[in-house]
Amino acid sequence: MMMGSELPHLIDALRPPIQRFVRESRARIALLVSSAGQVLAQHGFTRSYQVRNVASLAAATHASSHALAQLAGAERWEHLYHGGRERQLFLAPLRTPIEDLILVVIFDADSSLGIVRLFYENLEKEVAALPEFQQKRERRDQESFEHDLEAGLEYTSPDAASED
Amino acid sequence: MNALFNAAVERLSRVAGVRGALLVESEAGVPVVSELREGVNETAVAALVASLFRRTGAASETADFGRLNTLQLEADEGHVVAVDAGELILVVVADHDAQLGLVRFEAHRAAESIA
Repeated sequence: MMMGSELPHLIDALRPPIQRFVRESRARIALLVSSAGQVLAQHGFTRSYQVRNVASLAAATHASSHALAQLAGAERWEHLYHGGRERQLFLAPLRTPIEDLILVVIFDADSSLGIVRLFYENLEKEVAALPEFQQKRERRDQESFEHDLEAGLEYTSPDAASED
Repeated sequence: MNALFNAAVERLSRVAGVRGALLVESEAGVPVVSELREGVNETAVAALVASLFRRTGAASETADFGRLNTLQLEADEGHVVAVDAGELILVVVADHDAQLGLVRFEAHRAAESIA
């Protein structure tokens, strides 16, 4: 979980790699959240409630997939893929030296699973090398945790001011 | 079926000058079977060639040329030959001095046996 004071700096640092990923992979929607569900970067959403909902679902899916992987005897999972008729969803952990983030990508026929996977690998390397992900952060209490969770949404959401 | 795929890819990868061959699922752009020399990025080749093949196929149909059959990419250091194999694409990565005629012939024969 990123703390309030360092959050704007971190979101600024994540913006270029996410924009590059979206451009190269031709994804329609991309969302990067912490394992606690804090929004760190987003592209393509038009409503803040969508960002919040997808972030929560992604964090829950990440946790349950991790538990399933352990039950199945796998150390960790690589990615989840849902193929829809028109849109497809790719959800993968994005590993950094200090914590796992979660990347959610929605794409259509303009891209493909292979392309998204390819540029996801590049994005993971780029984000993992950011100075912001090299040093452990101190743990936060419950009140700060909730505040930080909201702050992530505020800094990244397209309509946080008007929607909430 | 898998044995058929493996045999086709293995046979192609033994052609002189061929760095490797792979079968790619055309919609998803992910490798199904591959036999590549070390240093060739399987994920990248599969994803990028499938994307290129789909787009070139769309251009071909837009121009009323019909379904794309073969895509041949020539660069300073090598060649990529991609052949339609139904729901799959057969991709061959070859050195720049490989016998392209033979590579194409073998690639088409392999694709016919798969499709």
